[in-house]
Amino acid sequence: MSQSRQINASKNSVPVFAIVALAIVFAAGLFVVGFDQGHIFSLVYGEKAFEDLYIHELTHDMRHAAGFPCH
Amino acid sequence: MRTFLFIVIVLISGLSAGLIHGAANFVFVEPSLDQAIGIENQHLFASGEEKDTPEFRAEFDSYRYWQKSGQILAGAILGISIGSLFGIIFVLSRNSLPGKSDIRKSLILTGIMWLAIYLIPFLKYPANPPTVGDPDTVVLRSILFLAFIAISGFGALGFYKIFKKLKTKKFIAILGYAVFIGMVFFTMPENPDKITAPMNLVEHFRIMSAVAVSIYWLSLGIILGSLWNRFKPHNELKSTFN
Repeated sequence: MSQSRQINASKNSVPVFAIVALAIVFAAGLFVVGFDQGHIFSLVYGEKAFEDLYIHELTHDMRHAAGFPCH
Repeated sequence: MRTFLFIVIVLISGLSAGLIHGAANFVFVEPSLDQAIGIENQHLFASGEEKDTPEFRAEFDSYRYWQKSGQILAGAILGISIGSLFGIIFVLSRNSLPGKSDIRKSLILTGIMWLAIYLIPFLKYPANPPTVGDPDTVVLRSILFLAFIAISGFGALGFYKIFKKLKTKKFIAILGYAVFIGMVFFTMPENPDKITAPMNLVEHFRIMSAVAVSIYWLSLGIILGSLWNRFKPHNELKSTFN
């Protein structure tokens, strides 16, 4: 008679790339929602992005509601 | 450690809590935001910068529609972002967090982070509705806000390490953090902007904002803890044999 068994081994090591990847997600997300004033779109649209402020307006209500400094 | 599963759990938890945050803002915060923007418009009309015409209203409505619809998307992005930070700290500190279940560990960590990087900075630099902030001081205010969060967060981390090292009288570490952050609190400059909006509106906005952000942290703790408990990404499935 055969028995099916699984062994679960607990390892404490966390891959560095996972930490780095999540840190990048953290920093990028925080910048988009909390601080972008046209910077990201300016990479594509140039100076005009600082006037259009698309990301700023899109995140405007959350920016105020979450306590980030705004106009 | 099943790395892919760990990352997926962190991202899903952050996304779910962020969507809950966005929805909570719709219910609790949007009425105050609308009221504050209404006051902002009255200032524009009074100064002659804009005229209250049907064209202005049409443009304003589409502009507000864009801003309001962004609430959920921004909630998702911010939720994933803060959730990622939480995931990093949770995975690195899980073994030393008190509590038997991962839900309990996760809730304890969200409580610590909510206090250190949200509530204490909020008490120093509280959220403000539109009409309060001066565009000329936004860079200074952003630097102060981020600096205070970073000092409080790293301070909490440092005193947590002291807390773990102390064999007895562990309360000294908690007291140390309280003294440290108290000194920073009273040393850092105040928000330079004067509040000209009605104070009852500003206070109501701040309370509702704090409620919604707290709902986010609570949701994050419950969701990540539950998913961790269920899927146990720290356990490596080593082998199966008959």
